[in-house]
Amino acid sequence: MSAGAENIYLPKLAVLDRVQDEIAEVKTFYWHFEDPEEQRRFGRFRPGQFAQVSVFGTGEFPLSLPPSPTEAQTFFTARQVGSCSGSLHALKPGDQFAVRGPYGNGFPMEDYYGKNLVFVAGGIGLIPLRSCIMYALAHREKFQRIQIFLGARTSRDLMYREDLRRWEQSAGVECHLTVDRADPAWNGHVGVVGSLFKKPGIEVPVDNTIAFVCGPPIMFRFVIKDLLNMGLPERCIVSTLERYMKCGVGKCGHCCIGVAYVCVDGPVFTYEQIKKLGEDI
Amino acid sequence: MKARILNHDQVLTVVDLLRARGYEVIAPFCRDEESRRDTFFDVVTDDNRAHVRVHVANPFYPPKRYVLPHIERLFRIGTGSGTFDIQPTYEHPKRAIFGIRSCDVAGIWHLDRFYLGREFRDTYYEQRRRNLFLVNVVCSDPNVDIADECFCVCADTGPAARDHFDLQLMDLHDGEFMAVAGTPAGEALFANPVFRKGTEAHVERRRAILSDVRKRFKTTTSWFPATVRYVSQGKILDKTWEEIGNRCLECGGCTYVCPACTCFTVTDRKVGPDEIERVRIWDSCALGGFTRMAGGHNPRKAVHDRRNRRFFRKLAHYFIQRELSMACLGCGRCAAVCHGDVGMPSVVEMIRRAMGETGRLSATAGGEQS
Repeated sequence: MSAGAENIYLPKLAVLDRVQDEIAEVKTFYWHFEDPEEQRRFGRFRPGQFAQVSVFGTGEFPLSLPPSPTEAQTFFTARQVGSCSGSLHALKPGDQFAVRGPYGNGFPMEDYYGKNLVFVAGGIGLIPLRSCIMYALAHREKFQRIQIFLGARTSRDLMYREDLRRWEQSAGVECHLTVDRADPAWNGHVGVVGSLFKKPGIEVPVDNTIAFVCGPPIMFRFVIKDLLNMGLPERCIVSTLERYMKCGVGKCGHCCIGVAYVCVDGPVFTYEQIKKLGEDI
Repeated sequence: MKARILNHDQVLTVVDLLRARGYEVIAPFCRDEESRRDTFFDVVTDDNRAHVRVHVANPFYPPKRYVLPHIERLFRIGTGSGTFDIQPTYEHPKRAIFGIRSCDVAGIWHLDRFYLGREFRDTYYEQRRRNLFLVNVVCSDPNVDIADECFCVCADTGPAARDHFDLQLMDLHDGEFMAVAGTPAGEALFANPVFRKGTEAHVERRRAILSDVRKRFKTTTSWFPATVRYVSQGKILDKTWEEIGNRCLECGGCTYVCPACTCFTVTDRKVGPDEIERVRIWDSCALGGFTRMAGGHNPRKAVHDRRNRRFFRKLAHYFIQRELSMACLGCGRCAAVCHGDVGMPSVVEMIRRAMGETGRLSATAGGEQS
């Protein structure tokens, strides 16, 4: 191969440092690149970007980047659902795997300076949004109000508990949690995440606001409806789409919806753009 | 572009010249005299050289595989040393395709645009493409070259390619061939004495033959541009896509024979006790698993959604502008292999009929239907 030409499919070796249980079937994997130069290069990712993760012998799959570039550590949070995520879950600290990226457009956080940020996440939809939340908190003075609405099935399905505790106690952020089904351990709000918007004492700013919505398709549909009813314009609702992906660089064709390749044109889209894609998401 | 004339019985000299220059030459062959459509591309050897076909029904398995193999290794991963050792494997053969049809020349050009024309350049494609020499043969014998399903005249890619070949050969039917050089590498072959200068009469003869051949296509539709417009504007009703989807057997055949389809999947496989290889394999949007995510959610569940996808990707203005080349070249392979008769020409026809009905309906209902 000629010098200089970069092989877009070649992943770089990484080492798993430690694994942390989040909720049932979901773990967070802290890792670093073997090559410190690669670690520095990769560390300049934008919130909302993703990486292609290789577990050799099984294959490669896309994962969102839950850390913010303002944090020192790199990690993934993954649910064990398929063969690749299964193999990742089987890795032990010290094991090697490989990563390439970061890919995708990411959230244009600089464009949101001076605005109110409303984060609405359902279940593991918090994974990609965590990056934006951490970024926003690290640049707190750049933004107006910051609200987080987080829904989970039960109190046992709430992830990033340490972060949640910090956000709940922080003066600079309004954090509201809800669960679909109450259990004895839970004394907070019960109901779908959209029901929080109508809870007495909660007032969601509509003017000069960007709403980040991420979660399962059904939650996404209802939350979008709620936000639009509240008067939020379609272009001020942003989300990150998830698709089956094989390359991450706009070649394999799997993630193409309408006219957009989610991997290179996305994964971050405004609701205005998502509507125009013309396909189910 | 420079043109030269050579005798009919000397046309395979081009194969010999390329082989002498170190090219592995691929050419079309026919299984036997009776099975006229049982044709294939293969490597020319001393033994089979005499059987190379100049006039031939275009093989179903497109020459795309010489730049995008059906299964291609991306890299090897050694596991024996306690650390993963990633070794990329590249192939950049000095290769020539003799007898590639105009539609397939446009196909390779489309792949060039897709794999090399965007932000990320596909390394493996680039390596294979770099030393590829294309000898286009113009489909000038309507009885042999042009299959019932061919419609390159509608896609504006044939019967004679206008560009993107190194050398183009065309039978002038009077014992002579015209050779046109498309690149300096092609023109360099003209140094051989088999090539001689032509006359105005040769050029006129070429024009007359092409003009006749254009009239000999059986599958033609003037609705191709209109279909592009309707598909791009989302004017086609779900009902029409459902009709098209109902006839799709989800075999994926159309995508495997298509010279412009680019989708692939990637997987790892164990090839030895201490070795894994990562390969990419042609994939098909016709298959249900194409968009199914881990966990089972499939945003494109219905067959007609997947058909809609294929034709949208091929015909939408957005993609034509993005690649500056349309992902349908009119080769007619999808029409020939489809058991449900929903290849490109039939789909254009179904859309034409449906749009006609829609027009009448909206006239009586007094409103816009779509």
